[in-house]
Amino acid sequence: MLVGTVVGQVWATQKEPTLEGLRLLVVQPYLLGGAETAETIVAVDTIGADVGERVLVVYGRAARHSIGKGHDVGFQSAIVGVVDGMDLGGKRVGQTAAEDD
Amino acid sequence: MFLGRVVGEVWATRKAPDLEGKRLLVIEPLDESRERPADMVKPVVAADPIGADYGEHVVVAFGKAARVACGGDGDFAFEAAVVGIVDDFHVPTAPASWRAEPGGRS
Repeated sequence: MLVGTVVGQVWATQKEPTLEGLRLLVVQPYLLGGAETAETIVAVDTIGADVGERVLVVYGRAARHSIGKGHDVGFQSAIVGVVDGMDLGGKRVGQTAAEDD
Repeated sequence: MFLGRVVGEVWATRKAPDLEGKRLLVIEPLDESRERPADMVKPVVAADPIGADYGEHVVVAFGKAARVACGGDGDFAFEAAVVGIVDDFHVPTAPASWRAEPGGRS
C-alpha cells in the first residue's frame, strides 16, 4: 500500500467489460522528503476521492477485492482510503499539500 | 518481504470497511539502493497488528501473507503488514543510514 496524491482522472470507452462504471484516477506517489515524482499510477477509486487529495492505494488481490466486492475484475490497483493526515516523526502531512507543515 | 523502518503513521476516516480499526504505519524500505536521499524514498504503508513504534526496524510482508498475519483469509483491502519487530540485524554492507534516526538524513 502506498500514499499518493490524486492528480487527475482517466476515461476509457473501449475497455475490459469488468471495468464498466469504474472511476479511474491518476495518482502520484508520495516521497518521504516531499519531493515530486514523475511516476504515476492509475487506480480505481472505490471511495470518492477528489483531485488534490492524498489517498491510500493498494495493489493486487487487495485491489480486486475492494473494486469487485468479491468478483474478479481486470484491474490491479485501487484507492481504498482518503488520508486525513500523516505524522512523520513530528512532521505533519495533511490531506492536501496545502495542509502540510 | 522486506526490512524497513517505521517513519510515521497515517490516518484515514473515509476508507474501505476492511481497514476499520487497523493501525497503518508508514515504513521506509531499507533496500539495495542504500544511500538514496530521503526525498527519493517511496514509503510503504502497512497494517500493523503487532504494535511497532516509531523508529523501530520491522519486517514487512506483502500479499496474502500480510492478510493472514492480520487474521484474514486473503480478502482484505490491503496487501502489506508488519509481521515482525527486528531486535537486531547484521548486514555488513549496510550503510550507516540504516541505523540512523528516521528523518536524520535528507
